[in-house]
Amino acid sequence: MKKLLLATTLILPFAAPAAAEGTLNIYAWADSISPDLIAKFTEETGIEVNVDSFSSNEDALTKLQAGSSGYDLVTPSQHFVKIMADEGLLEDIDAYELAAYAQLDARWKGQWWDPENDYSIPLAYGTAGFSVNRDKYDGPVDSWSVLFEPTDLAGSIALLSYPDEVVSAAQLYLGVEFCSEDKAEMKKVYDLLVAQKPSVVAYTSDNIENRLGSGEVAAHFWWDGNTLRLRNSGANVEYAAPKEGLVGWLDSFVVPAGAANVDNAKAFIDFMSTVENATEQYNYYAHSAPVAIDESKALYTPENAPELFPTVPVVFAQACSPAAQDLVTKVWTDLLQ
Amino acid sequence: MSKAFRFWGLVPAWALMILTLIVPILIVAGVSVAERGAYGGFNWAFDLSSYRQILYTVGWTDELEFDPKYVLIIGRTLLFAGGATLISLLLALPVAYYISQQSSRLKTILLYLVTLPFWVSMIVRVYAWLIILGNDGLLERIYRIFGGADISGFLFTPGAMITGMVYSYIPLMILPVYASVEKIDPALIEASHDLYGGRWTALKRVILPLAAPGLTAGSILVFVPCLGTVLEPMLLGGGKQLMMGTLIQTQFGGARNWPFGAAIAMVLLILVVLTLLLNARRAGRQMEATL
Repeated sequence: MKKLLLATTLILPFAAPAAAEGTLNIYAWADSISPDLIAKFTEETGIEVNVDSFSSNEDALTKLQAGSSGYDLVTPSQHFVKIMADEGLLEDIDAYELAAYAQLDARWKGQWWDPENDYSIPLAYGTAGFSVNRDKYDGPVDSWSVLFEPTDLAGSIALLSYPDEVVSAAQLYLGVEFCSEDKAEMKKVYDLLVAQKPSVVAYTSDNIENRLGSGEVAAHFWWDGNTLRLRNSGANVEYAAPKEGLVGWLDSFVVPAGAANVDNAKAFIDFMSTVENATEQYNYYAHSAPVAIDESKALYTPENAPELFPTVPVVFAQACSPAAQDLVTKVWTDLLQ
Repeated sequence: MSKAFRFWGLVPAWALMILTLIVPILIVAGVSVAERGAYGGFNWAFDLSSYRQILYTVGWTDELEFDPKYVLIIGRTLLFAGGATLISLLLALPVAYYISQQSSRLKTILLYLVTLPFWVSMIVRVYAWLIILGNDGLLERIYRIFGGADISGFLFTPGAMITGMVYSYIPLMILPVYASVEKIDPALIEASHDLYGGRWTALKRVILPLAAPGLTAGSILVFVPCLGTVLEPMLLGGGKQLMMGTLIQTQFGGARNWPFGAAIAMVLLILVVLTLLLNARRAGRQMEATL
């Protein structure tokens, strides 16, 4: 008996990988995938799903670069899809052959981040801008100048702790091209942010709902759908529509190179892209859907969710060259030195 | 048997040390002298530019110039970590002494209470301070009850950051200090009073010297993690000034410059080792002095 027990214990660790055929490990933005849909997927397919979350594209990239992340599906934004693909970190899944691809809006096909549609199927898109608490601030929100050269908002502003997002917005405001390698132009961005710094309470990316909703700060650098969700939960917040434009993002499903459960990952992508499930995901995540959804069941319309239907220009973030990225970093470390 | 056993018996310990301590440090050292990859990561090519970057960077005018910003960040980190250690020390000594004076039953309970926060995730504990220090938070309300004027908040200040650091690591100070204070023979304190020593003299000439090992151990245990802390500067300090921990994080994240991040990590490691060495030397000298 004892021998049997011992033998079983010895075998157990080897048995585990066999069971792993039925699993799918997802690395996605925090709270970005409807838990109901994950439960439904497991019910339909028997595949067990584990979800870990990241809170910046850089986190996702670093994790994949470090190697053997163990994830089968990751959801980075467009410029990071490009970087990951160029760096050979992604599995070529022939995304154009998936059922999900047929559901995709034509404007997201054959784009610069995945010209052959080999690697990625978009999951959600939206914008980065800033939101104000209307109990604390009743001035205009039609320009980035309100945030970057504040008068009324001084001392009540919080930005994100991600240089890419903040610098991109400052570039939009100043009319400096994204990923500029021109030092003089980037110096302007730096000067703008340094002059703004005394008016900024914090550079932080956590706990934004509370900070803005409770009025701890009157303005926060933020995303469209998050503002929408906070507003729907009763907070008096408004997503700004700066005339200089908003920074666009599109998150896509990609499969890391060498992932163990590629077929399960593909099955999940297809599952998430059916009209019924995409609609449910849209209603849960409150960010725009790049795939076809059932408009009659969609909770958010231009009338009740102006956040998701911006009328100002949307400029998508680019994959910067190392030289341009170094300038972004220089702006940031000089700012926070 | 004994000789072979001495060798083979220590193999597991050596294996553990090499695999979990020496190899990772060598990897960090290796990355710090590697060439940075275009989009993060690194290439295996010898390149010392990461260390040069600590002192010299290419400025806005395209010239390589002496740039004190990283030295400033390192100095600031040392200052805040030192401050947090000093405050912990001042708070921990009376607490440890008080605990040592209690009945053994109460002692157990109090010591258990000191370690209790460690059972809760660090992030949760730091978030608790957000509620205490935040706008209209607990501290502000108490302040207002006592007639304090309108203030613009405690959160996102260096003070909030140091408070968080002290709170996070003070148990590591209290425990070793308690261990050495507890061993002090009360007769020695009585003796100092008998010899007409006042309370101050008893503290200075009896308690402090006898508690010194605990104070040093506690100071190291608090100072070292404070040097590398990331959560408190980001969440409580508002991320307005980089510390070494957040600087390293930025290099591996947004900046995509792993070798530089590794170089800063090596500087951090050297600072820690220096602290330990200095302390070991001082302890050595004290030993000699007492012999």
